[in-house]
Amino acid sequence: MENRDQRHERGGEIMSQIVIQNLNKLYNPNKPNAFYALKNINLSVEDGQIVILKGVSGSGKSTLLSLIGGLSKPSSGEILVNNQNIAKLPDIMSSAFRHQKIGFIFQSFNLLEGLSVYQNILAPLALTSLSKEAIHEKVSLAMQLANIEHKKDQNVGSLSGGERQRCAIARAVVMEPEIILADEPTANLDKENSFIFIEILKKFKALHKTVVIATHDTLFDGLECIDRCVQMRDGELLG
Amino acid sequence: MRTKGLSMFRKNFVEYAILLLFKDRNDHLFSFLIFSFIVFILSSVLFISDSLQYDLIQSIKAQPSIVVENTRAGRAYQMHEGYVYDVSKITGVSGVEGVVDGYHYFAQKRLWFHIIGDASLAKDEMVIGQGVQKAMAELYYEDEFHFLTEERLIRVKINKIAPKGTNILSNDAIFLNPNTARAVLGMEIDEYSKLYVSVPNPNEVGNVALKIVEIYPSAKATSQADAIGAVRHVYYYKGGIFMILYVIALVSFFILLKNQISLVYGEKKKEIAILRSLGFCIKDIIALKFIQNTVVSVSAYLLGVALAYVYVFVFNAPYLRNIFLGSELENSISLTPVVDLNLLFLIFLFGVIPFLAFVILPAWKIAISDMSEAVKS
Repeated sequence: MENRDQRHERGGEIMSQIVIQNLNKLYNPNKPNAFYALKNINLSVEDGQIVILKGVSGSGKSTLLSLIGGLSKPSSGEILVNNQNIAKLPDIMSSAFRHQKIGFIFQSFNLLEGLSVYQNILAPLALTSLSKEAIHEKVSLAMQLANIEHKKDQNVGSLSGGERQRCAIARAVVMEPEIILADEPTANLDKENSFIFIEILKKFKALHKTVVIATHDTLFDGLECIDRCVQMRDGELLG
Repeated sequence: MRTKGLSMFRKNFVEYAILLLFKDRNDHLFSFLIFSFIVFILSSVLFISDSLQYDLIQSIKAQPSIVVENTRAGRAYQMHEGYVYDVSKITGVSGVEGVVDGYHYFAQKRLWFHIIGDASLAKDEMVIGQGVQKAMAELYYEDEFHFLTEERLIRVKINKIAPKGTNILSNDAIFLNPNTARAVLGMEIDEYSKLYVSVPNPNEVGNVALKIVEIYPSAKATSQADAIGAVRHVYYYKGGIFMILYVIALVSFFILLKNQISLVYGEKKKEIAILRSLGFCIKDIIALKFIQNTVVSVSAYLLGVALAYVYVFVFNAPYLRNIFLGSELENSISLTPVVDLNLLFLIFLFGVIPFLAFVILPAWKIAISDMSEAVKS
């Protein structure tokens, strides 16, 4: 898997950068139970940075990740990724953006049950017109990075929590996205597997990936590879 | 690298859609079986009715232009030589043939045999249909048969068995010399039960039929077109027993559609959300469901039609043919393979399209909703 510097050498690609301006997310508008999940969020993440969003449950971390990844639309405000406002993109373009630029890692792993590890990692590549060989190479590289290659033919239902996590990571990176969004990635893992995730995080750093992690796990506190830690409470950024 | 536009037709995408389909094969199996059953029932009914219609119409086409029958008190009544003479004098008529035709009750088996006069046969011999042969053999009448009339016992040798599958009419038929047939049916020597009237000009058939009725008001003159119309009316696919079968198919179809909808909700809702998070757009989700359900419905359709074909034309539609045919005798006919492609296409259209719609519409509804909650759960 090539790093960003190598890519720059190849084609002078625009640096990945996330800029969030005056972002609001209102649920159930015009209803008695309307509430703001995010209030006036302003945040920028530099290319290659690893940023931690910290806060208790319900503070808006996951909602912010969903908006950055284009999974839902903000009520107001802008989300610029590489100077492109993804909040305004129509479905076909925001899906293409998610497909090419974003890798999601979810707390509940969100694997396609009933399929093998290999078949799960294959999913994003189904939207490409790559040859069988190229697809196989990409899946193999992703499995190597996540250290799950030895389980490639195993059904995901028979994997341990840590293995499921690594399968989800491999799937998130198989398209070589610039940005990786991880929502409570260690919440369902034991200590040992959480440390394995930290090791993978270091690999992301080496590959110059931009990573945003929503977590309340203290394991990430003071890690050398973390560039910034942002606190959230009641849908607002603190400090 | 991402496929633009018609992504559903891309190889990798189609392969992945099929992979997901096989993953959920148990969920799709119910829909597949119900849909096959519906297509099987409807196709079987259409195959049987088309085949019977075809045979009857072919036999009518082999008959002359007009068939004349006399009636008295609303029942068929014989005609004497004077009818033949009068009808042959009508302008446009090229020939009139008196026919002996009627039914003999075989009390031991409680069956009716169709007696048809055939001048090529000797007085003491007969040709019988497959169904008749079967019924007679059960009572050990293998070489000859005894017709029991009010006056006497008539012995007739069984000369030949009419080949199976010639047509629906020959199955319960006994072909006898006309005089022997008259004796069996209790008719006088110069009497006929029907007149076959030949009219060379098809445009004159209607007028000739009218003239016959003018001369003999109690007679019924049926042209070939009228007879074919009557057969078509009996086997009209929008009426009678067809409606009952349609209701059965419709109920099954609603069960199927309910299952189709449930295939999209529940666990599948999360699957759609996962795929959306991986970059599948709404169009991709719809294309995915379209491919999967097209594979299920088209294969179920083809299986249903193939099974119906084998059931009707190889096994002669056991059980179902009883609905269409009256006596046990008639049931021993073999159905001529006739396939109406238009009606098969109609079944395809009204089966496959709702089948697809009932999965694609809910899938679309889920795909356009906010995915953030679904991927968190």
